[in-house]
Amino acid sequence: MTERTTQQIDDEQQKVAELLRSFDTPAPESLHRRVESLVAARQGPRFTRRDGRPRPFSARLRLAGVGVMAAAVVAGVIAVGLSGGSPALSMGQAAAPTLRAATFPAPPESEAHHAQLAAAVDGVPFPYWEDRFGWRSTGTRSDRIEGHMVTTVFYANSSGRRIGYAILAGSPAPRIGGGVIAWRRGVPYRLLSKNGTSTVTWLRDGHLCVLSGHGVSGTTLLRLASWA
Amino acid sequence: MRTLDPQSLTQHVDRLYRAAWALCGSREDAEDLVQETFTRVLARPRVLSGEHELYYLMRVLRNTFLTSRRTASRRPVTVATLEDVLVADPRSLGQPEQALEMQEVYTTIATLPEDRRLALVAVDVLGLSYREAARALRVREATITTRLFRARKQVARELADAPEARQPQTQAAPREETRTTGVLPSRGTP
Repeated sequence: MTERTTQQIDDEQQKVAELLRSFDTPAPESLHRRVESLVAARQGPRFTRRDGRPRPFSARLRLAGVGVMAAAVVAGVIAVGLSGGSPALSMGQAAAPTLRAATFPAPPESEAHHAQLAAAVDGVPFPYWEDRFGWRSTGTRSDRIEGHMVTTVFYANSSGRRIGYAILAGSPAPRIGGGVIAWRRGVPYRLLSKNGTSTVTWLRDGHLCVLSGHGVSGTTLLRLASWA
Repeated sequence: MRTLDPQSLTQHVDRLYRAAWALCGSREDAEDLVQETFTRVLARPRVLSGEHELYYLMRVLRNTFLTSRRTASRRPVTVATLEDVLVADPRSLGQPEQALEMQEVYTTIATLPEDRRLALVAVDVLGLSYREAARALRVREATITTRLFRARKQVARELADAPEARQPQTQAAPREETRTTGVLPSRGTP
């Protein structure tokens, strides 16, 4: 049996360390965007003062007296009120535009990107699903929810089912409450099914997206929503 | 003492992703782990007592990783379909050769015992000092040295595909200087 020398062992250790340190493959762009969205969301009014500086850490608040804490809470409430921060929306509120009628014609397929329609909100495009899933775009409409402009594209399939895909303009997106969370490829999707209507909400580049339809399963909506 | 600046965290995404990939052995799980780690860190303002941000992130990554492994059996299993595989984010394959090599190496690391894996990831993938790694993983510095030695040795042998790779450890490895062998002591997230 050959005894390995200390030098050989050292060399082996060094090689593994160097190999691991040589890797510099970056994280996927989608992950960067998700982290940036999280950071942006955490720099909202709850976590920052009105001048943009971070709030003092919570340990200090805990050490402060009850009066100081109360003042901080009041200040926080005022800050939120004055800064017009993004309030929470219910799933029903978010889905409301997607269940209304279209008021404009359907956007065509994008000439540059075959997986997209020639319609976008703040650079976030609507998907083209006709070839892949059989859902063709049938119309659009515009609404306003809690100060956010909402653009909705409607799709229909050969069975006559209809769904609406809404994207809210502006970032940070309003918080959404309700439903259950389902993860697809690292992205959390909020899903709610109620009275035969399924709704899925999620974030794309910091923008709230809503996909909803009557008589369409949550699984189908999740599959469509997570297709990119 | 200083407050953690959320904006400064974005510069660590790449390194943390590689660390998570090595821990999980899969890119998809790594993305979830990194996102969950940042979600935890950003859940409330954090205070660092002079530590480097990366050290702090490693601590949270380690806690999140261990927690997710413990709870994995309680969650519904998501089976990846062929479609999922085909439409997985192709942008991370900007350097396909390195990505393939990384996949092989990280898959090997993911088969290491958990304590060795964490030590290797903290020092060689994330680039922490032995001292920082020891604090992040809540073990003594000497324990990190031992685990790192054994981890590198095992990786080298697995990659070389040596027949003796699966034989028991030889006397070349230093004595493990800890009584908490095996699973790391688990505590709540910081």
